[in-house]
Amino acid sequence: MIQIDSTEIKKQKKLALTWAITFLILFPVLITLGLLMRLRQGEITETGPSEFFSYMTLHGLGMAGILFTFAFAALWYLNSTRYVRLNLKFGWFLYFLILIGVVGLLYGTLIGKFGPGWYMLYPLPFKGTFWPAWATKVSVISLIILGVAWLLGILHMIYALAKQYGGLTNLLGWQYLGKKENITEIPSVVLITTISLIPGVFALIIGAAMLIMYLLQSFEPSLAFDPLMMKNMVMFFGHTLVNITMYCAVGWVYALLPEFTHREWKVNKAVVYSWNASFFFILFAYLHHLYMDFVQPTSLQYLGQVVSYSSAIPATGITMFGVIAQVYHAKMKWSIIPLMFLFGMAGWAIGGFAAVVDSTIALNSSLHNTLWVPAHFHTYMLMGVVLFIFGFLFYLFSGKDKEEKDGLGKAGFWIFVLGSYGFLLMFYLGGLNSVPRRYSNYSGLEIDHVRETGAHLAQCAALFVGVLLVGLILMYLSLFCKLIQQKVSTKESNS
Amino acid sequence: MLKRKITLSITLPLIVIAFYLISFYWNEWFCITMPRHQLVQLPSMFFLGIILALCFPKLFINDISWSIATLIFIMASLIFWMLPHSIDYAVINNSFNRLMHINMLLDGFLLVLVFRKIFFELKILFLGMITAMLLASGITLSVFNILLCSSFTIEQQKQTGHSLIIIATAMFVFTAFIFFRTLKQQSKS
Repeated sequence: MIQIDSTEIKKQKKLALTWAITFLILFPVLITLGLLMRLRQGEITETGPSEFFSYMTLHGLGMAGILFTFAFAALWYLNSTRYVRLNLKFGWFLYFLILIGVVGLLYGTLIGKFGPGWYMLYPLPFKGTFWPAWATKVSVISLIILGVAWLLGILHMIYALAKQYGGLTNLLGWQYLGKKENITEIPSVVLITTISLIPGVFALIIGAAMLIMYLLQSFEPSLAFDPLMMKNMVMFFGHTLVNITMYCAVGWVYALLPEFTHREWKVNKAVVYSWNASFFFILFAYLHHLYMDFVQPTSLQYLGQVVSYSSAIPATGITMFGVIAQVYHAKMKWSIIPLMFLFGMAGWAIGGFAAVVDSTIALNSSLHNTLWVPAHFHTYMLMGVVLFIFGFLFYLFSGKDKEEKDGLGKAGFWIFVLGSYGFLLMFYLGGLNSVPRRYSNYSGLEIDHVRETGAHLAQCAALFVGVLLVGLILMYLSLFCKLIQQKVSTKESNS
Repeated sequence: MLKRKITLSITLPLIVIAFYLISFYWNEWFCITMPRHQLVQLPSMFFLGIILALCFPKLFINDISWSIATLIFIMASLIFWMLPHSIDYAVINNSFNRLMHINMLLDGFLLVLVFRKIFFELKILFLGMITAMLLASGITLSVFNILLCSSFTIEQQKQTGHSLIIIATAMFVFTAFIFFRTLKQQSKS
C-alpha cells in the first residue's frame, strides 16, 4: 500500500466535505419535490400538471444524478486517501463541471418546466409538450455536461488504480483465480470500484449518442427516430447508471464496516467470481424495462429475465453473507455508522427482491407501470444507497472516535427509517392495488376503487414523508454538531 | 537515422501522390455520390494525415492546454464538415473542397501528435465522444426523409447514414480495445 501524506489527505477531505455539503443542500430540496408530487396525487394541493411533471423530472434526474455523483465522490475520497494518488485539481475541476450541469438542469426544469420524466421516453420530449423548446435544449446540454464530467472522473480513477495495482486483470481480481502464491493483493473496495465503474464508461458513451440525437431533433423537429431503439438506449444508459450507484455504495461498506467489527474483509475467490459475474450481467439487466414493448425481439425478453435474476444473485448473495460473517458475534459498538450500513444492506435486499419480482415476465404483466415500480427502486435507493451515504457522511464528519455515542443522530436515524418504510409501504400497496405511476392525480381513473385507494395512499405517503423529514432534520443537526466539533478540535491541535 | 531517411523519402512522395490522386485526379468521381464523398474521400484524407504524422515519431504536443485546444479544433472541424451546407458548398466549389481536404489531413496529423502524450482520460473521452457523434449522425441520416444536401440524393443520404452506423460501431469496439489494452498494459510498466 502506498503512503499518502497528511497534507494530501487533508486536501482530499476538504474536497469530500464540499461534495458532502452540496449533497446535503440538494437532497432535501429533491425530497420536497417528491412530497409536493404525493400531495398533489392525494388531492391536498392543486399543483398543475406542468409543475407536477417538471418536479417529477427534476426529482428523478436529480436524485439519480446526485446519488451517483456522491457515490463516486465517496469512492474518490476513500481511494485517494488510502490506496492511490488521485489528482486533486482534477477533482475540483469535476466538481465545478458537475455544478454547471446541475445548475443547467435546475434552470431547464424549474424555470423552463421541462417535464418528460427522467427517462425522457422518446418521442415524449418533442410531441405535445407544454414546455418551450429551449428548455429541452438546456436540459439535454446539461445532461451532456454531466455525462462528460462523470466519464472523465471514472476514467481518471480507473486508470490511476490500474497503474497502482498492475493492470486491469489485477483490478478485476483475476490473480486470485490462478494457483500462484505471490499475487498482488487488492482491497475489496478497489475491486468493487473497478467493477462498478467500467460498465459506466460504456453506458455513458451510449447515453451521449442518445442525448446528441435528442439535441439534433430539438434543432430539427421534422426528424423522427425509431422509438424502440431510443428506449433501448435510454434504458441501457439509465438503468446501468442507477445500478452502479448501488454497487459504488456497497464498495465503501466493504471498506468501512471492518473498522467497526475489527474483522478483515478480504478479497477471495468467491468474492472475485461473484463480482465479476455482476460486471457482465449489469450490461444486459436493463432489458427488463422493455417487456411491454411487443416489437422487441422475444429472445431479448427472455434474456432480460434470465439476466435480471443472474445479476441480482451473485453480488448480493456474497455481500449479504459477508456482512453476516462480519457482524456475527463481533465485539462491536452499534454506533450509528454500522447501523446505517446494516439497514442499508436490508434495504438493498428488500428492494432487490421487489425488483426481481417485477422483472419476472409473468408478474410484470400485472405490475408494469403501477406504483410497484417506484416502490422497489425507492426501497433500494432510499433505504439502501441513501443510508450508505449517510453512514459515510457520519464517518466523514466524525472525529477520531467513530464509535462515540450519538443520541441525536440515532433518534433521527430511527425516525427516518420509520418514515421511509411507511412511505415505501404506500407505494407497494398502491402497486398491489393497480394504482398507475406517473399520474399527476387520479381523478381521471374510471375504476372507483383504484382512484380512491391511489389518493388515500398518497395522503398517507405524504404524512410519512413528513416523519422522514423530521428524522432527516435531526440527522442534519447531529452532522452539523460533528462538523463544528471537528473544526474546534482541528483548531486546538493546530494551536 | 539512414533507415528513417529512406523511409521518409519513400513515404512522403507516396503521401503526396495519394493526396494528388484523392484531391485532384479522382475528385470528380468522389463527388458524384455522398457515400464516396463523406465515407471514402474525407476519411482517406484523415488517414493520410495520420500516416504523415507516423513518419515523424518524435513530433508531439506535450502541453495539456494545447492538447485540449487541438482536440477541440479537430472535433469542431469534424462537426463543420458534417454540416449539410459545408458538404454542398464543398461539392460545387473546388477551392472549398480542397480546403476541406487539407483540414482533414491536418486533423489526422494533429490527432497523432496529441495522442502521443495526452492523458488516458482525455484520449478515451475524445474517442468515446467521436463514437457517440458518429452514431448519432449515422442514425439521423438514415432516418431523415428530407434531403439535407442538394448535391446528392435521399437514397445516398440514407446509405451514408447506414455506413456511418457501422463505422461508429467499429469505433466503439476500437475505443473499448484501446481502453482495455491501456489498462492491461499497466501490468507491464
